[in-house]
Amino acid sequence: MDDFQETAFPELSFRLAESKKMGGPAAIARQHEAGRLTIRERIDKLVDQDSFREVGALAGTGSYDANNRLVSVTPAPYVAGLAKIDDRPVALGGEDFTVRGGTTFGSTRRKGGQGGFIEDLAFHYRIPLINLIDGAGGSVTSIKRRGHSVFPGVHGFERSVELLGMVPVASAVLGTAAGGPAGRAILSHFSVMVNNTSQIFAAGPPVVKRSLGQVIEKNDLGGSKIAVDTAGTIHNAATSEEDAIGQVRRFLSYMPANVWELPPVQESLDPIDRCDPQLATIVPEKRTQAYNMQRLVRMVCDKDSCFDLQPSYGKSVMTTLARLGGRPVGIIANNPMVYGGAMDVHSARKQIHFMELCDTFHIPLVFFVDVPGFMVGLKAEQEGTLREGMRAVCVAGKLRVPTITLVIRKCYGMAGMATCNKNDVDLKLAWPSAEWGSLPVEGGVAAAFRKDIMSAPDPAAREREIEAELKPYASPFRTAEAFAVEDIIDPRQTRPILCEFIALAEQRLRTEVGLKPRYGVQP
Amino acid sequence: MSEIEINSPVTGTVWKVERAVGDQVREGDVIMILESMKMEIPVEAETTGTLDRIDVVPDDSVNEGQRLCVVKS
Repeated sequence: MDDFQETAFPELSFRLAESKKMGGPAAIARQHEAGRLTIRERIDKLVDQDSFREVGALAGTGSYDANNRLVSVTPAPYVAGLAKIDDRPVALGGEDFTVRGGTTFGSTRRKGGQGGFIEDLAFHYRIPLINLIDGAGGSVTSIKRRGHSVFPGVHGFERSVELLGMVPVASAVLGTAAGGPAGRAILSHFSVMVNNTSQIFAAGPPVVKRSLGQVIEKNDLGGSKIAVDTAGTIHNAATSEEDAIGQVRRFLSYMPANVWELPPVQESLDPIDRCDPQLATIVPEKRTQAYNMQRLVRMVCDKDSCFDLQPSYGKSVMTTLARLGGRPVGIIANNPMVYGGAMDVHSARKQIHFMELCDTFHIPLVFFVDVPGFMVGLKAEQEGTLREGMRAVCVAGKLRVPTITLVIRKCYGMAGMATCNKNDVDLKLAWPSAEWGSLPVEGGVAAAFRKDIMSAPDPAAREREIEAELKPYASPFRTAEAFAVEDIIDPRQTRPILCEFIALAEQRLRTEVGLKPRYGVQP
Repeated sequence: MSEIEINSPVTGTVWKVERAVGDQVREGDVIMILESMKMEIPVEAETTGTLDRIDVVPDDSVNEGQRLCVVKS
């Protein structure tokens, strides 16, 4: 806004100035006291400097005097527009909590949320969408103004769902989200919330109290400990709003603008032929001893290129966006520190989301495999591990994106099948420490040779004898001899080999950009 | 002076306790080893400090998230 504008177009200048006031100084002070930023401060921190082009700043509620002259405008509780992040265009918007608590605004055309203008912008221009969520959706107060109640789905999630197959969608939950905005946050490729100052739930404490008589504080109901660590409702937790916004920027740095493009390649400062000598000794000789898979993955990938998705949920698998030779890759690595890396219902769900994410945006996958199988036991069965685990196998079986399977240690059973992609060249590499099969020899002998063992004079000795007899066959080199695994590599060579295959994958990826077909029923 | 609680990453049993209360530990030092799903899980100090208390003894059953020990730094 400049002096000329003020003189030439006074009403426009006045109305724009009104919109910048948001809910007024008192409401802004309350927002800050709650440890939260205003929507305009959030946008400033998120986007490249001076790149925000607001759309719809004039939407609001004007108040007029007796002569129908404008006195003031309360802006709509949603700020939206275009901007650039790392010099790439994005559509973004968020509720303004300082105006009526960010409740839905009954404009002729919705500005934000599901089915809002902001989604149309991302959809029609094929650019990423960022939701800065701080609101609880509809309010019963609107029923009186409207004169009737609204049928669910009139402002439905159709466009939100469509976007998931088309452009990257990231949501930061920066306040208390319930209802529509909470649902909107879930329909994202990446979501993040702030410890202590944000909460998300289907319904908040007052509704819970009325419905169930449960008295519970909002952080205990929908804080990051529940929503991120326990339920996986939101992918990542952040220590501050700045951290959450930084994570959104980080996530987008691995993503193409849409499914018709390839992910952005950066120049790699880390030499592709770097061979970390520690890789030779990181896996303990004793096969029951756990080791640090996170450290291992970081030794292989480009320095400082790893960004973990859902690090505190389903911890028996790690899902990490990273770069190899500057090219984005998705790393799926089993974590032997947590239940030996066994796949449970949570890690299966996490792996499924990550595989679908990478498949949609043409990011090649590398599996660092050390999986003993599905999690066993009563709790695992009650949770439906088998079904969720088979969903992982099913999604892995439909992958179109190039995939490399690298077996570090164990690869057993059906969980092992969820680490391969037979639609691709199906390159299975292994370290000399690898072992695999339908099930480990130790556990399998007792069941398979039961009669033989039981009829022996010393059953325990007979069991050990059969185990010893079968053991040599479990050597990975026997499998390589049969070319049933394509190669066994020196662990130190892992980075150069992966970099070479990932670079090669680019040619193939170019031929497969675009929308992915929809499939039938998943188990 | 801050107290850092180390919680069990898994449900399982305590196999060996390698260090004692009062010991100085450095980041990455193994304080105890758990056993779960036939795997040995090293419990490492997350920071350098003094081992202030140990809540478990060998053969104890532990639940995921249960406090195992406290390091003061």
